[in-house]
Amino acid sequence: MSYHIVDMTDPSEPKPVLLSKHAKHLVRFLHLLPARLSSHDNTRSTIVFFAVCGLDVLNSLHLITPQLRKDIIDWTYGGLVIPRDNEKQQAGFMGCRAMLPQTEDVEVLECMRKYQWGHLAMTYTSIAVLVTLGDDLSRLDRQTIVDGVAAVQHADGSFSACIDGSENDMRFVYCAATICHMLDCWGSVNKETMFQFIMSSLRYDYGFSQELEGESHGGTTFCALAALELSGQLHRLDAATLERIKRWLVFRQMDGFQGRPNKPVDTCYSFWIGAALRILNGFKLTDYAKNREYILSTQDELIGGFAKWPRSSPDPFHTYLGLCGLAFIGEPGLNDVMPSLNISMAAYANLNQLHEHWRGTDDLKQLRLTGDATTKSTSSSSPLISAQ
Amino acid sequence: MGDSSDEEYLHAEWVPYSERADWGDVTPLPQDDGPNPVVAISYRPKFREVFDYMRAIIARGEKSQRALDLTTEALRLNPANYTVWQYRRDILRELDANLQHELDYLEEVIGQNAKNYQVWHHRRVIVEMMNNAQFELELTQNALDNDGNAKNYHAWQHRQWAIRTFNLYDDELDFVDRLICEDPRNNSAWNQRFFVVKHFGFTPEVIERELAYAMDRIRVIKNNESPWNYLVGVLRQSKSGQLNSNSAVVAFSEGLYNAGNRSPYLMAFLIDLYQEQALQDPSAGEAAQKVNTMCLDMANKHDVIRRKYWEYVANHLKILLSKPSQTEQT
Repeated sequence: MSYHIVDMTDPSEPKPVLLSKHAKHLVRFLHLLPARLSSHDNTRSTIVFFAVCGLDVLNSLHLITPQLRKDIIDWTYGGLVIPRDNEKQQAGFMGCRAMLPQTEDVEVLECMRKYQWGHLAMTYTSIAVLVTLGDDLSRLDRQTIVDGVAAVQHADGSFSACIDGSENDMRFVYCAATICHMLDCWGSVNKETMFQFIMSSLRYDYGFSQELEGESHGGTTFCALAALELSGQLHRLDAATLERIKRWLVFRQMDGFQGRPNKPVDTCYSFWIGAALRILNGFKLTDYAKNREYILSTQDELIGGFAKWPRSSPDPFHTYLGLCGLAFIGEPGLNDVMPSLNISMAAYANLNQLHEHWRGTDDLKQLRLTGDATTKSTSSSSPLISAQ
Repeated sequence: MGDSSDEEYLHAEWVPYSERADWGDVTPLPQDDGPNPVVAISYRPKFREVFDYMRAIIARGEKSQRALDLTTEALRLNPANYTVWQYRRDILRELDANLQHELDYLEEVIGQNAKNYQVWHHRRVIVEMMNNAQFELELTQNALDNDGNAKNYHAWQHRQWAIRTFNLYDDELDFVDRLICEDPRNNSAWNQRFFVVKHFGFTPEVIERELAYAMDRIRVIKNNESPWNYLVGVLRQSKSGQLNSNSAVVAFSEGLYNAGNRSPYLMAFLIDLYQEQALQDPSAGEAAQKVNTMCLDMANKHDVIRRKYWEYVANHLKILLSKPSQTEQT
């Protein structure tokens, strides 16, 4: 077992992050997943996200060959659902590739369409992967995707993952916000009811719950704060409330971070709590050394990757979030991460360039339409501005 | 957990669909994963076959008993496949199936997959279809009583939904009390207590009762965040919403401190209490001084991991206190 190797090292020396082992670990996932991961069949896009964005944070995107890069992009776009007029399917990226049949039979293809719909978490992670790989998103009809997001918003402001067969809660509020922010378009998404839903999930201890009066949770508190930031609504919280939320978050640190009071720590919360605190400009108040020590205690020194707990099996999810947690404390060799979108700052810069380009094109369209050279569409209502 | 073992596949009982006479009319439909798939799962043969038949059935739009049975098998292999769950619901509606059987089936599935979002969602939809939640409290109680699962988020979420939707609040406080007695650190149970008490209303009497309840629990384990958070939450429900709104709580916490207790949760409570006092009456420097001293004690002795945070709290109060005087001057 790998931890025996650790015992022989000088305990006073901080352990190194095995950068190249983690990179190789993530590349392996991109190619083939073992059968034991069959229950992730519907969420393969998220595994691509953890691997690609993880390599980006590791400064190792060069390990993705041009051919593999093309394969990832093509496979990702292969999951794009574009409904026809009068079809109720939700645009976006599918999670469930199991509904894509190998056939030329038009009737069969037609019938299967009824069970193909976008999924907010897959749409978010797919766009994040494309942006990270430097794709210009030109194959996406941004308006249609955002219509798909609006289509799964409920009257109470929350979102489901998809039009059929999904629960609605804070996770998908977050995904909706990331998609609209990344596509720089909120369409008919109702930001006001979204805000109301988020605030109705703020609990008496000042964490946020998954929905309404559930228990405060680190993951959902991140989702809530990130959605507020991405939708340009974080400023609506008063100073006292922000301080109380900060308190709840800071109290989650034991050595690493726990997700709820009186629960064991887990590597992934170094991201969820860390990112939430960064959004509130409070991350610098945490103990970096203890945080690092815990994350590294879950590092698999043999095959690379991070697990939730020491001596547990590593997985793509904890590997990526562990790396992000280390990036937050400025670990050498790692790229910084944009907390609310959970992509690297480099990928975020790519995204901002796309936004500028789109806005330029939109301005041009506007000019052509109005024929009035003095009219310039402003971007003051853009969430990007307020989220800075 | 989702994927069944090879052992099961090799077991003589399981006959591949391709060898079953009653499935002879169905041509399996393979998955199209594109020419160069990434993150390809090396499906076991059984998994592949079941989903090839599942696709074929969905492509035909067949909603029959055998289609229902096929979804059972597919969902045993991958209980996270939300599309198959949706197709299963479409079959149940089409067949006008006995939903009580579905609840029985789900009890078993939830027993095996208590931390899977899809199974709980399916349960919720079926209960909505039946408009009857008479088994939901028992179901979630069983899930929570299961060893080590008393904090299962899914079970609590489902339980709250059922209580809220079908007005099942009446006996909930007893249930919550039992769980808190079993484990005073069960934060989920404390949260549920707040949910139930809030429903019935935070009257002055109820606030009094709940504060006493929390203090009783704190007396047993002082270093337990859950009842401290609950205590603050209840105090905020009082008319003034102030931490000093109940003199018994102030006496209780100061008494603990004077007796030498230095639990970070107690200290944090007192820091907040004195900070409120300092902000209400900036001329009284004593409270501000207490905050400062206690923050430094926290930073240096009792809560060293949050050293930077407590220094920040001390400074933050100084900044807040300096602000009004500035406005007075201008």
